[in-house]
Amino acid sequence: MKFFLSLFGTLALILFLDRSWTVGYTRIPPLGKFLDPLNGFWQNAEPRNHIGPEDLRVNGLKQRVIVQYDSLLIPHIFAADEEDLYIAQGFVTAQHRLWQMEFQVMAAAGRLSSILGPGPENAFIEYDRRQRRLGLPFAAQNAADMMVKDPVQKRMLERYTDGINRYINSLRYKDLPLEYKLMDYEPEPWTVLKCGLLLKSMAQTLNMGDKDIEMTNALKLFGKEMVDLLYPDPDCDIDPIVNNPGGWNFDAVNLADVPPALPEGLVGIDPMPKYDPDVGSNNWAVSGSRTATGAPILCNDPHLDTSLPSIWYAVHLNGPGVNVMGVSIPGAPGVIIGFNDSIAWGVTNAQRDLVDWYKITYQNERREHYLLDGEWRPTEKKIEEIVVRGGATVYDTVIYTHWGPVPYDRNFRGDEGLNDYAFRWIAHDPSKEATTFYKLNRAKNYSDFMEALDHYASPAQNFVFASVSGDIAIRIQGKFPARRKDEGKFVLDGSKSSNGWTAFIPFEQNIMEKNPSRGFVSSANQYPVDSTYPYFITATEFEAYRNRRINNVLRRLNSVTVTDMMRLQNDNYNLHAAETLPFLLNQLAIDTAALRDEGPEGIALIKAYHKLATWDYFNDKDSEGASYFQAWWDDFYPRLWDEMLSHPVSLARPSEYNTVKLLKENRISMFYDVQSTETRESLRDLVRTSFATSVARIEKWKEDRELKRVRWADYKDTYVRHLARIEALGYHVQHGGVGNAVNASDRLKGPSWRMIVSLEKTGIKAYGVYPGGQSGNPGSYHYSDMLEAWANGRYYRLAFPKRPEEMQLYLFYETDLNPREKEN
Amino acid sequence: MKKFVIQVVVIALLAYMLELFLPWWSVAIAAVFGGLFLRSDANFWAGFCGIGALWFSAAVIIDLTSSGNLAEKVAAIMHINETLLIIVTTLIGALVGGMASYTGSLVTRKKAPTSG
Repeated sequence: MKFFLSLFGTLALILFLDRSWTVGYTRIPPLGKFLDPLNGFWQNAEPRNHIGPEDLRVNGLKQRVIVQYDSLLIPHIFAADEEDLYIAQGFVTAQHRLWQMEFQVMAAAGRLSSILGPGPENAFIEYDRRQRRLGLPFAAQNAADMMVKDPVQKRMLERYTDGINRYINSLRYKDLPLEYKLMDYEPEPWTVLKCGLLLKSMAQTLNMGDKDIEMTNALKLFGKEMVDLLYPDPDCDIDPIVNNPGGWNFDAVNLADVPPALPEGLVGIDPMPKYDPDVGSNNWAVSGSRTATGAPILCNDPHLDTSLPSIWYAVHLNGPGVNVMGVSIPGAPGVIIGFNDSIAWGVTNAQRDLVDWYKITYQNERREHYLLDGEWRPTEKKIEEIVVRGGATVYDTVIYTHWGPVPYDRNFRGDEGLNDYAFRWIAHDPSKEATTFYKLNRAKNYSDFMEALDHYASPAQNFVFASVSGDIAIRIQGKFPARRKDEGKFVLDGSKSSNGWTAFIPFEQNIMEKNPSRGFVSSANQYPVDSTYPYFITATEFEAYRNRRINNVLRRLNSVTVTDMMRLQNDNYNLHAAETLPFLLNQLAIDTAALRDEGPEGIALIKAYHKLATWDYFNDKDSEGASYFQAWWDDFYPRLWDEMLSHPVSLARPSEYNTVKLLKENRISMFYDVQSTETRESLRDLVRTSFATSVARIEKWKEDRELKRVRWADYKDTYVRHLARIEALGYHVQHGGVGNAVNASDRLKGPSWRMIVSLEKTGIKAYGVYPGGQSGNPGSYHYSDMLEAWANGRYYRLAFPKRPEEMQLYLFYETDLNPREKEN
Repeated sequence: MKKFVIQVVVIALLAYMLELFLPWWSVAIAAVFGGLFLRSDANFWAGFCGIGALWFSAAVIIDLTSSGNLAEKVAAIMHINETLLIIVTTLIGALVGGMASYTGSLVTRKKAPTSG
């Protein structure tokens, strides 16, 4: 009896400790399994100089592949066979980033609830529904189907996929990345479709910006004249990417001049959360005629979420006909931003409206047919199955039309079924970007670069280029609908096919420039082109500050050095503040004598005023003026546009640039009144109230933290957070910069990879750094080893040998990947 | 006393070896074995100390030699501190080990009269 009791107790204890439990929304990992030092999470803790095995057997390899890691843990992969090269890239990337790769794909595909459960108030289920309804899996499938039609792409993607799966198959519980152990699940096999999902997830971050619903409401509430004033096209056209007036000598596509038709009524949709327009980037190339060495220098820093594991994975690929280095997206083969022996390239996002919404008229409640050109066309119903961990599977029916899926309807954020809108998105179209990167990785000169881009459709990017032979160039590449004036700004009537995208801009008519006389090319997400370009261009928002600062500095510099470029990438000059603050201070017209009598609050206002008045507009770490300005603007801007924020239908605020412009021109006085108060406010009231409120907020901030000063780095509090938002796995970093400065670092996003390449004939010199580290393992020294250098504007010289023997100086350790059956 | 020490050491070593190939619960197999074949006066404490010592020393060695502060991070996720995390780790192993070795020792007692 005693024995059975004891046996039962032991088994029950083991079973209890072998499974995870959910308490509220928190999942407690299986305690025995997780805490076991010999197999559990402790095994993910690595010594400082942890090195991998000298030899590994990898199924499917034809020959031995040498992988040399440098001191940053960047793999230098040397393969004698092209297929082996991609197997090795997949294998090595998975070894460092498996959890991240898969988690990003799960998020893109709308499968988060299968890992995380329903979430608080079903947040994860709603997230998954959103992804499905936007047609992310649909887009990825279209891309994957297209990719495997091309033998070169197919080979590259399939071998890369094989490499990942070889690694997954080699894993035991002990070897799993920490996050799998914490959340208690296991990796699935990788597929080519997952590469497609990653690509489309990138397109979602970069190319899904739109405010058509908000603009339509504004048009109906304020009228056309006011809309043109508040949301002009272009918003700011100073210093476009390519300024070549009269140089567009081609026959532009002729569109029937039918104005696009607008559906009736306001749009009572609660739009899905938007991606922050501050996700942007800088890139530029300086011609050899302007540099100290006479060789071109190319620079790029894409601004994305500063998250861990890092968005990018640095890699060097050396194989037959290719020697390329740079950063890759974990989960996609090849190098995305980088350089080879002959050229370098980089990207920034091309702001362009690539989304439209079409109002659907159904025949009846059954939604089986919709109206198109006077006929009832059948719809297609797709039942999305959302598996929920620890809960019942959710089924969601999404209707597809020829326009695309209908995300908003009576079941999702719609208003009583009156607002069925179909979603047309460029990234739903089949495309073959993998070919572009395959070719860019091997490009030798300008014409190779151009040919590679001819295969590129989405997400649209500004590609900057420089070659050892001395060319510099920029090309805005993507598949762009040729638009009539104002087309794309508002929602459209989906019952007429003539409202659709009838033609696309031929690739050779895209905006581009080679070796301009000013001696540099640059882009920073601004309006792309001068007014003589024959196509109408619109976007949610164009950048208006970084571009001008970059061009001003580049115009001024002579015999440019790599150090100059490092300084420019880390430049904290806040042009937005420089153009705004004097105006605000002037409006404020502070009365020091009167304030002095108001006690401590008055004194705080005087001190703040002086800090602002003497500020040099640099958002440096120690600057207090930067903090006061930001706090003031953050209060003033929404206070001014309270009409938009408090309206029952969704409306957009005018851009910061246009706001300041209109204020200075005194053209928006009708918006000065604050809706929630009885009194009628003037601009001065707005400025004063927001100033006092923001200073009070900062005083409170200082008091809470027991700090005497409000340093910008503390106030901004740059936070490099973990992808799954696990607080303890993120870092707070002391870092200057601000979204509108070249060093575009906001609290949660910023330069995600700073790269500088000097294309010297005696050999490429390249420098890089990113906010994180090569290893995705929070228990590794290399999880965050580049973070400090990044925050302090320092760079690493990147080792770029042509042969393994040349690695000596940089070599940390070497792992040879061998075919399974070794020849004797 | 000597018997007990041998029992503890054998349980710890056997558990270590089993864990090279089997999941965490294999420590229970080692402890059952120790209780079954190496009976002492304190069979529960033998498994408790054997597995507890193994897990404690493994955790401490890993913690001292690693550089990513992982234990600190995981402790923070669990809202405890690092020391407590090591104690919890040790106690979980020890408890499973103790119950298993005790169970093992009960098997021997039951079998004793029939076999001899």
